Amino acid sequence: MNIFLMRAALLSLAASAPLLAAPPLPAEHLTVTTLPPNNPHRIYVLDDAFTNEIDARVHLFDGDTYRRLGQIDAGFNPGFNLSPDGKTTVVGTTYYSRGSRGTRTDVVEFTDNTTLSITHEIVLPPKRAMTLPTYFNVAYSADSHFLYVSYVTPAASFGVLDPAKNTVLEEIDTAGCVLVIPSGPNRVSSLCESGRLLTVTLDAEGHEASRALSDAFFDPDRDPVFVQGVPMTDGFAFVSFLGEVHEVDFSGAQPAFHQPWSLVSATEKGHWRPGGTQIGAIHRKSGKLFVPMHRGGEGSHKEGGTEIWVFDMKTRQRTARWPVKPHKLAPVLAVQVSQDEAPILFAATAHSDVAVFDARTGQLRHVEKQLGQTPWVLLNP
Amino acid sequence: MRSIDHLFENSSRALARHTSRRSLLATLGRILTGAALIPLLPVDRSSRAAAAEPGGTLPEAASVKGTKAAADDPLSCEYWKYCAVDGFLCSCCGGSSNACPPGTAPSPITWIGTCHNPTDDRDYIVSYNDCCGKASCGNCECNRNEREKPMYRPSRNNDMNWCMANADSNYHCSVSVILGVAEK
Repeated sequence: MNIFLMRAALLSLAASAPLLAAPPLPAEHLTVTTLPPNNPHRIYVLDDAFTNEIDARVHLFDGDTYRRLGQIDAGFNPGFNLSPDGKTTVVGTTYYSRGSRGTRTDVVEFTDNTTLSITHEIVLPPKRAMTLPTYFNVAYSADSHFLYVSYVTPAASFGVLDPAKNTVLEEIDTAGCVLVIPSGPNRVSSLCESGRLLTVTLDAEGHEASRALSDAFFDPDRDPVFVQGVPMTDGFAFVSFLGEVHEVDFSGAQPAFHQPWSLVSATEKGHWRPGGTQIGAIHRKSGKLFVPMHRGGEGSHKEGGTEIWVFDMKTRQRTARWPVKPHKLAPVLAVQVSQDEAPILFAATAHSDVAVFDARTGQLRHVEKQLGQTPWVLLNP
Repeated sequence: MRSIDHLFENSSRALARHTSRRSLLATLGRILTGAALIPLLPVDRSSRAAAAEPGGTLPEAASVKGTKAAADDPLSCEYWKYCAVDGFLCSCCGGSSNACPPGTAPSPITWIGTCHNPTDDRDYIVSYNDCCGKASCGNCECNRNEREKPMYRPSRNNDMNWCMANADSNYHCSVSVILGVAEK
């Protein structure tokens, strides 16, 4: 035998000796994981799966460990939301009896956020609004007593559901106004073509008690607002195509409109614009607003941000600009921020990555590549 | 103006209360198929306002973004008719810019755009119908939004699935059908 081969054989035996001596691995038990309760850094990412849209899903992702935690299936062109206590994910979606075709069933599905199992469902009339997800496609009342679902057939209305009794209580015509913006235990507002808000007040059984129409709070011809409202402490901020911020306080019996303010200076106006699929996020305690901004003209309102701009909501001043290109990120389509004392800013990009930033400094901590196919909306507890 | 707005909102509310979905669809279908009614379509005349606003790029949008060849190519997202398409181009899915692919059904309800044809220098009203009944084509995704408006202005909105009222409401792709020349 060749001397080198002998040496190699001896070395190999010596190296494997401890392995031969080690006890065998114990038999394993097959289990199913459950999740701990929500933490502020968990994010729910809606992937519309646009190139195979009957197969949308919600990915759960942890902003500390950068690990995927699980998945909630979401059917075709869904809307989704979290319950006020964060324990339930509600998905409003559509299925066809033969996969991509056949009898249409519109349904709201309730998923336990610990087990990620569907606990129950409510079948809807086949009227669910099939459109981009926002906070207002499916939404809970503040006390979780009602669930509202936006309908468009294209006639506009909404369903009032009882999530505890698994029933559809009522359908309320909204005269062309769309989406369900909840306020308090029994009020729902909808955005109207005229720039007004329609507010319907419900009785205890979910039937219409009264309705009121506001004055126009934006100009839908000259500078329409995105329907992707941004949650504030007392209501929602609606950002316009040209960067005006319309803060609407929904805490009273009727919506109250603050004086609008601008994200852009006079010289920036029309050149720098907000855009994407989720137009802003507010860290409510510090009053910081984060908006993806891009250079563009009319018709660029779905382009992602090449920069994230940060504003102080109290002073209405920009406090930072964070370009994303130095991080080799594609333009940002959606932003969300955690609400804790050490907030994280999540940013979903046009290349389907989700970036994790320190929301106080803009420091990039992580890029999760390809978190789904088309991650368009990010929600968190 | 406020009282006029109220009048319209009140009358549209009354209309919505007393109009069934079927009759609404029938009316929309008549509007979209009736060439004689084309002047009644919601022609967008906001281009002048948008062009006047700071940074507005409307008049040149189709030709500035791409080459002349792209603006003439129905397989390109830059094709002039596609100025408000958000979806998959049917011309890349077995159909054409104005024909649905085999086995799909056109949506009877649509959104409307106004696009500039650089070849003859005219503005055209374009109906964007979805083709329905099969899963997403997934080819030639095109997202252009000139004069596109949010869903509270549905006739100008391309985020909605316009297959919503079809017997099979699954979305496959989008076509762009010239309805006529836009009045200046």
